Parts: sequence; structure tokens; C-alpha cells
Amino acid sequence: MSSLASDSPYAVELNQVSKIYPGTPPVEALSEVSISVPRGELLGIVGASGSGKSTLLHLVGTLTRPTAGSVFIDGLDTSGLSDGALSGIRSRNVGFVFQDFFLLPGVTATENVGNGLLYSGTPERERKRRAEAMLERVGLSHRLAHLPNEMSGGEQQRVAIARALVHDPSFILADEPTGNLDSQNTASLMELMVSLNHDGATVILITHDPEVAEMCARQITLKDGRIEFDSSTVPGNAHD
Amino acid sequence: MNSIRALCLEMPMTERAEIQMELPKSRLSFLETLRVGSSGLRTRRLRSALSALGITIGIAALISVLGLSASGSADLIKELDALGTNLLTIEAGQGFGAGPVSLPDDAPAMIRRISPVYEVATVSKVPGGVYRNDLIADGRTRGITIVASGLNLINAQQGSLKAGVFLSQVTSQFPAVVLGAVAAERLGIRDLSIGHQLWLGERWFTVIGILNPLLLAADLDRAAIIGYGAAEKFLDHDVDADVIYVRAFPEHILDVRSVMAATVNPESPEEVQVSRASDVLEARVAATSTFTNLFVGLGAVALLVGGIGIANVMVIAVIERRNEIGLRRALGATRFHIATQFLSESLLLSGIGGVAGILMGILVTAIYAISQDWSLIIPGLAVVGGMVSSVLIGGVAGFYPALRAANMSPTEALRTG
Repeated sequence: MSSLASDSPYAVELNQVSKIYPGTPPVEALSEVSISVPRGELLGIVGASGSGKSTLLHLVGTLTRPTAGSVFIDGLDTSGLSDGALSGIRSRNVGFVFQDFFLLPGVTATENVGNGLLYSGTPERERKRRAEAMLERVGLSHRLAHLPNEMSGGEQQRVAIARALVHDPSFILADEPTGNLDSQNTASLMELMVSLNHDGATVILITHDPEVAEMCARQITLKDGRIEFDSSTVPGNAHD
Repeated sequence: MNSIRALCLEMPMTERAEIQMELPKSRLSFLETLRVGSSGLRTRRLRSALSALGITIGIAALISVLGLSASGSADLIKELDALGTNLLTIEAGQGFGAGPVSLPDDAPAMIRRISPVYEVATVSKVPGGVYRNDLIADGRTRGITIVASGLNLINAQQGSLKAGVFLSQVTSQFPAVVLGAVAAERLGIRDLSIGHQLWLGERWFTVIGILNPLLLAADLDRAAIIGYGAAEKFLDHDVDADVIYVRAFPEHILDVRSVMAATVNPESPEEVQVSRASDVLEARVAATSTFTNLFVGLGAVALLVGGIGIANVMVIAVIERRNEIGLRRALGATRFHIATQFLSESLLLSGIGGVAGILMGILVTAIYAISQDWSLIIPGLAVVGGMVSSVLIGGVAGFYPALRAANMSPTEALRTG
């Protein structure tokens, strides 16, 4: 729909991607990582802190550029694209969910979700309509006019998920989405993630919590900037 | 146009296809940018109000100072126009070593021969004091002097009466007196409902009129004015002109002035002092505008401080709202969108402050002008200038913070803690 040329079977492809942060000595956060994420996948990326998973998230989300290798979003090579073009891709193809929710304070749940459509030039009335529909989908139809500080952590994260999904992105990129939630909220949030995935959403979930990763159909473990384990390459365990 | 189209058609198919395949673009309309900016302000109401207040005070100060000075000067200028700038006052100057000198007896007649002159009124200072009754000790005159004058003094001064009548052919021969505004007040005479009598040193005089203040001859405000005939008859005073008031046609007033001294006293023109009464009022207008400049300067300083306040608040906002910037970049905002968001916040702050300042300035001017009985004048230039300068200040104050916000790397901005 609003996404890029969509004949690629992959939502995201990383091809020999490396990221080196300059400094003395330079830090290689990722080295020659290749991952292909087919549409409709629920991928959990696990790793200890310092394993390079934040860098991976930023690269997949086009928030930063690789030092070497290429990142394909919906089959489009993003290397060499301008900052403005990358912003355009984020506004249409990527849905972010953050550990700290990052809801705007003093703004209702509906408006926060509507912000997911803001930079694609969607008119306000349509933003509102789609935001309300999406809040209903995540089970918050009774919280439309609530401000973030009037909601629980679990509810706030659901608002953030609704915001990530409202523009119908190619994939959701969730960075430790359960990191600030208790075990009960974690369980119900993961249930929501799985259910959204069943409805066709591609979800890339980054976590340090092995239990959360367990619930993902495919898991990748990062260590020291390299892929240590990818469940799709284990025989008999391959995804679809 | 046509040549461009032709060029496109000549291009190979693949290149054309590439042009057609457009990347998705981030979009945010001007209106949405303003909405995002105003939402940023609305969620921080108190801080926004306080930082806009600096601009409000600055603009209000500018508008009210300019408005008050315009209203005040307009009033002075109106008075000046009404009184005319063509009144010359001729007095005897100081003689060299010979003590006070007097004007020649034939001075009024000589002056009348200057053709642009159309009115000559003379005044003669009469020694003695004015007392409420004959029991008051000599010398306790309350600063009130007696002058004898011709009948046309009131015309020459374009004066008006607060009560009663001026001297006439008849009353100037009788013990009748017309009081200047200050003199009447000092003597406690407000109206003529009861016949007031005053003791002029030698006999009783009846008050027949009270003058309104004479703006071009403040001396006469403190005088009791009697007729020449009365001065000779009752106070035994030898009348010769001490002060001569001359009206000439305004377009020739400078020429008249230049020949005046020689006409009055051809023998020693340096002993004649000629002054133009309206010069004093003009000096007052000039003095007002000097003060205006000073206060406009102060207003500008207040405006500058207000601008620095906004810049300060915006810099803090950019640091504080780093995560919001990161989030918006993640949602697809370009650098330009981030920059315009913060710039529009700053412009809205200063714009709102400016509008509030203009309204406040107009209000202050109106209240003061009404209390002073002036006509209210708000200079359009001050209003336009106030608005333009507040928007300009907002732009300058918001420029650096906006740039800083735009250049923040998204990953850096999303970092927490």
C-alpha cells in the first residue's frame, strides 16, 4: 500500500552489515551481519548489553547508516539515500516501539497514536479515525482521551504499539518493549505481539529477556557484534 | 516547457521509469507544523506564558511610550496651532551700566507701521500689590502684579475668559480689574457670583472677569489687569508700554522679528529684547520627544531581554525534549520538520507575546490619555514595528535552538538517561 516497491519477499534484509564507531580504539559494534526477515515473521533478537543489538535496531530502523554492507527495506537498498529519503522510509515502512514508550506528555492517547501518521501527510481527521481504530485493536478503546500519565505502564506500551502500527508499516521494530513492564504486563503484551503477528504484522523484537525471546517464532542471538545463533538455520526448526 | 518535455521523451526508458518510481517522502504541511509547535507550548503553559511575558512587556513599553508621546505632542501641537506661532513679545532689555531701560514712547506706533503686523497690544507694569482687603500688610502680594493694558490684549493673546468680561472702553476708565488664572486662584476667587472687591494699594477695584491660562504669556496669568484710564486716574501711574505683544502674518513673522529691535529703538536696538512665545512650547515638544527616545531605548532593551529569555527557554527545551526529537525522527520527521517545529514554537511565543504587548500598550496609552484629557493616538508604525520586531526576535531567538535540534542524531536523541 503505502510501502515501497513491495515485490520483495523480505521486509528487511541485512547484507554483510558492519558498524564501526570511530574513536581510539574504534569500536566494531556489528561485524558482517547478514539477516533476512521475511514478511509475516516474528523475530526475536537476543543478546547481552554490548552485543550490538541496539546498533542493529538503529540500522534496521534507518536511524543510522552502516559502515559497510547494505540494509534493504522492502527490497530497496537504503545505502546512499539522503537523510530526507530515509525519513520518508521511516514515515511509511517502519514502526518503532521503545522501552520507555516515548509518548508525548500532555497529549491524549488518540493524538499520540495519530502522530504515527503525522509525517506521512495524513490529514488530521483520518489520523484520528485510524488512531481510534488501532487503539481499539490493542484493547484500549476505553482510553482514547486519556493522557499518558493517566495510564498504567502496560497501557502506555499498548498505545506505543498502536502508534507503531497505525500507518500500516512493513514491520514493527520493538526495542525492549517489555523492559519497563512487570511480568503480568509482559505476558499480556507478548500475547498482543503474537496476535498482531498472526494478523500478518512483521515484528522484529529486540530483548535481553530469554523468556520473551522464547515466544518468538524465530530467534537470533547476538554476541560481540556477530550472530551466535539463528534458529532458522537449525534443521527442522526453520520458520515457514 | 516544451523543450523539457521533449528532453524527457528522448531519455531511455529505464531512466524514465526511475523518475516515475518515487521514494516515499515525509510530509508536514505548514498548518500541521504550527499545530505541532502550538501543542508543544500548550503542554507547557506556565513556562510558555512566562517566556512570552518578556516580549509582552517590551512591546507594551514601546507602544505606550510612542502612543503617549504621540498623543501628548499632538495635544501640544494642537495648542500651538490654536495659539499661533506668530506672536512676538517685545520688552526692554538690560541697558549697559545704565540700569533698567524702557521702551521709547513711540514704539507701538512705530511697530504698527511694519506692514505684516496686524495687532499690537501694550502692557504697562504698575507698581503696587493686590490684596483681598485693606487690612493686609503692604508687601504680602502673593506674587501678584498689577498691569495696565489696552483693550486688545485678549485678542493678541488669543485668550479666553473663564468668567465675566474683559475690559471695555467704559470699564477701563473705572476701578475694574480682570484677573489672570493664577492670580484668581491665589486670591481664592473662582467665580463672580458674588461681587468681589480687591484692594489695589490705594483703593477698591471690582473684579469683572477671570481669564483662562494664557499659554503664550505666563506672566499675565499672575497679573491683575486694569485699564490705562483707571491706572492713570486711580493709581496715579504714568502709562508707558513696558511689554508689547505683536501679531504679524505667520509667513512674514521671521522678517518682522528681524526688523523689530531697530524699529522699536533705532538709537540702541541692542536694548530691545524680542522673543517669540511659541518657541517655548516648541521646546516643550522637543523635550518630550527627547524623553520618548530615552524610553524607546529602554523598551528596546526590555525587548532584547525578552528575546534572550525566549532563546534561553528554547535551548533548554531542545535539551529537555531530546527524546521527543528522537521519537519524531523515528516517526519520519526530517531535519527540516524538527527545525521548523522549534522555530514555529519560538515564533508563536514571541508572536503571542507581541500581540499581548500591543494590546497592553494600547490599553495603557488609552487609560493615560483619557486621564489627561488628550486625544488618543496610537502610531500605526509603532504597532506594525512592534509586531515585526517581536516576530523577528522570535526568529532570531529560535534559530540556533532549532538548528541544534535538527542536527541532533536520531540515535543520540533516542538514548535515555
